[in-house]
This record gives sequence, C-alpha cells and structure tokens, in this order.
Amino acid sequence: MIQFKKISKIFYPKTVAVKDINLSIRPKEFVSIVGQSGAGKSTLIKLLTSQLKPNSGQIIVGGWDITDIKAKEIPLLRRQIGVVYQDFKLLPSKNIYENVAFALEVCGVPNKRINSVVPQVLKIVGLKEKAGHYPDQISGGEIQRAAIARALVHRPKILLADEPTGNLDSLNTKDIIDLLLKINEFGTTIMLVTHNKDVVNRIKKRVVLMDHGEIISDQEEGKYIL
Amino acid sequence: MFASTFRVTKFALQDFFRNFWLSLVTLTILVLALVTVNLLVIFNVVAKTAINTIEDKVDISIYFKSEISEDQVMNVQKYIQGLAQVKSVDYISKEQALENFKNKHQDNPKIIQSVEEIEKNPLGASLIIKAKNSSDYPAVLDILQTPQYNNLIESKDFDDHKTVIEKINGITQKVGRSVIIIALVFALISILIIFNAIRMAIYTHREEIFAMKLIGATDWFVEGPFLLQGVIFGIMSMVITLLILYPLLGFIRPYLQLILEGDFNIVKYFNQNFLLIFGLELLGAILLNLISSYIAVKRYVKV
Repeated sequence: MIQFKKISKIFYPKTVAVKDINLSIRPKEFVSIVGQSGAGKSTLIKLLTSQLKPNSGQIIVGGWDITDIKAKEIPLLRRQIGVVYQDFKLLPSKNIYENVAFALEVCGVPNKRINSVVPQVLKIVGLKEKAGHYPDQISGGEIQRAAIARALVHRPKILLADEPTGNLDSLNTKDIIDLLLKINEFGTTIMLVTHNKDVVNRIKKRVVLMDHGEIISDQEEGKYIL
Repeated sequence: MFASTFRVTKFALQDFFRNFWLSLVTLTILVLALVTVNLLVIFNVVAKTAINTIEDKVDISIYFKSEISEDQVMNVQKYIQGLAQVKSVDYISKEQALENFKNKHQDNPKIIQSVEEIEKNPLGASLIIKAKNSSDYPAVLDILQTPQYNNLIESKDFDDHKTVIEKINGITQKVGRSVIIIALVFALISILIIFNAIRMAIYTHREEIFAMKLIGATDWFVEGPFLLQGVIFGIMSMVITLLILYPLLGFIRPYLQLILEGDFNIVKYFNQNFLLIFGLELLGAILLNLISSYIAVKRYVKV
C-alpha cells in the first residue's frame, strides 16, 4: 500500500530529516512510527501528503508513484489519504458537521450524498449530538474525533495520524486509539506517528523505530523500546 | 463546475457573516479609503471651478479711435472671433458706449452736462474679448500688435490685467500640479491601506487555508471564496460610500455655492458624472481587492 524506497530528505544546507528510508506497509496494516522529536517521523507524513518532496528515492502510494507528482495532482492524492494532526486543523468558522462535509465538498461530492454520509460518520465517532457545535465549543478529545471523522468521510484506504493524542489526556488518548483500531478493523491502513510509549505498547501492532532520520528497528507486534 | 461555483459562493458569504467583526473592520477601511478618494474629487472640482470663475471674470477691452467706422470694427471683430484661442468677442458701438457712460455717471450731473455740451460723441467703439484660457491672452494681443490692427486702436486695457492674468496662470498651473501630486499620494495611500486590510483579513485565515489544502482542496476552491469576498467588499464599500457621500455633498453644497459665487452645484456635478466617477471607483476597488486577495492567498496555498 505504501512504499518508501531509499528515501532521503535533506533541508538546506545539510540538515538530514530522513536518510535512505526503506519501508513497506501492506494494505490493512496498522503501523506505529515511533521515535523522539526530530527523528524524522513527521517528515514521512509530509512526504506522503506531498507537503515535501524527497531529494532522492521513490515513494509509491497504492501503486501510484508520487515521487515527482505534479502540483495539479496533489489535491487528488490528498483526497485519497486521510490525515489527522496533533493540532486537529479543523476550520474554526465551520461547525463540526460542516467541517466533516467540507472534505466531501472539495471532492465535488453531490449534496445528497453528503447529507447521507456525514451523519453516519459522525455517529461512528460518537459526535452525532455535537454536529452543530463549533470546534471551540467542544473538548479536545471531541475535536480530535471530529478530525478523524473528516479524515474518514471520503473513505480513504490510508489514514495517517500524526501525533493524534499529543494534546489529549490519557482517557481521551485511549478513546482515540480505540477508534483508530476500530477503523483499522474495517480495512483502512493506518500509519500512526507517535512518541507515546504507553499507546504503542498497548496496541501490540507493528512498530517502526526511527532515530536521527533512520529506521533502527522494525518489529511485528513490537514495543517502543529506546 | 456549477456545484463547485455554488459552494465557493456559499463559503464566501458564510465566511463574510461568520467573521462579522473582521468583515466590518475590512469594510470600514475600504469605505474610508473610498471616501478619501471622493474628498479629493471634490477638492479637484472646487479648485477647477474656482479658477474657471476667476478666469471668466478676466477679459480685455480694445478701444478704437473715434474716427474708425463701424465696418472696420466689425471686420476686426470677425477676424478675432475666428481665432482658435478666442471664446467670445462682444461689440460695443459708439452709441452704446455713450449710453453706458451716461448710465454709469447718472448720479453725477456735472459729468452728464459736460458730455451734452460737447454735442459730438467723444467715445469710440470697443470690443470685449474673452479668451478660452487666461494663458491665451498674450497670443491674442500679439496679433493685435501688428500695424494692420494697431493703427485702429486707441487703447487696450490688457496691461491693467496683465499681472492678474499672470498670477491666475501661475495659480492654475500650481493647483493643477498639486492636484496631480495629491491624487497620486492619496491613490498610493489608499492602495496600501486596502492591500494591507485584505492581507490582514486573509492572514487570519492562514491556518484554515492550510487545512483546506491538506484535505485536498484545489487552489481555485481555496482562493475562490476570498476572491469573491473581494468583489463583495468592493461593491458593499462603494454602496456605503455613496450613502455617506451624498448627504455630505448636500451639506456642503450651499457653502460651496456661496464661496464660488455662481450656480455651481456639487451634487449636480456628481450626478452628471455618476457613472464615470463611481464606475471607475467601483472598478478600481474591485480590481484592487481581487489583486490583493490573490497575492495574499497565493502565499498560503503553496502547501
């Protein structure tokens, strides 16, 4: 589903973000990318969403070589990948329903379909009752669930979660991780970027450990060990 | 395409009303800039009208020798009338000149009696010449200096007005230049104010723009609502400016009429030039908003 082949990203003049990364993620897999700050975890997410372009190597997403993707194709790529961020990135002037619907509106989905799909997804993430609320009227955990709903609403095959629990307390963290596991059970490939040891150790899934821009271990049902 | 345009319009209006205070501040700045531009238009019109009023009061009178026949004077009149610089030439006959003289001094019986004692009309015919511009008088006088005409003329009163006319010419040129400089400075200030107002408004949306792009919105889908808002801001600010300007014009009209001593009507001037003034201002405001919005958004859509 996702392949990084000898990927390197160097920021001018010589800050190495990631170096010679070889990583293959299979469909429906749940992979945790772990490591300390500056290890290069978020760079991988940015490379996958074409926010950054690699200096060398090849990136393939769902059979599509996006290494030298054209600017006009980037929106198409992003519509096929759901992304959840630590700082949520919801639109503050839209309510929760509108935020989730927006992801479909940018894809040109007809209103009729939006009106039937959005309530279903809000129900899955447990926010049906809060649909009319604005982001500043709900809790951090609820905002992150709304962000997950937005990332899921167009049914992407891949969901990238970049430190999704970074701003949440332990109870909300558990809720969000359980939600991600549930989504994975439905068949969505999940790449979770985190430095939360407890989360990684609890879920018992594949763990890729990064340090200084390189992969130093890759274990099935691994643990976050430094 | 239709659905996309509809959504872009919906987002533009939604954002306008949901960020009401920000919209209001942006709109206020635009209105202030437009009102300032119109104040400059008023200043320009008043300055030009004042100069025209003064220029209109200036003329030169040519007094012919009393032995010169009416036909000769009429020939000179015909020739001068044909000059490109000349606006009008009024002929005053010997008899009319005498009549005017008597009327002017009717309260002074000694002067009237003296004139009647002479028996013969001592006054010659005269021509009152008005040039199109005060700067044209020297050229007209140069023509009259030629022996062909000079021999017929008793006197000219241009020398009396020469200093005044030169001063008016000087003032006209200075006011003209000042208006251009002030207009350019005001235009530049207005452009900078509008550009910054729009830039600030869009700056507050930078995180949203970033989020939209990460969801997969195309540049057009992100830029569209901001560009459309630019057009909405342009139209609304023009309407509000009109609502402020016309009562203001009505208020200053009697004062301007008093100062300019004529039938000058500033409201009528704006009505007669409505499309030209406000059409250009509207077009300018919309274009400026569009360009400012485009430049500001473009900076944040590069994700």
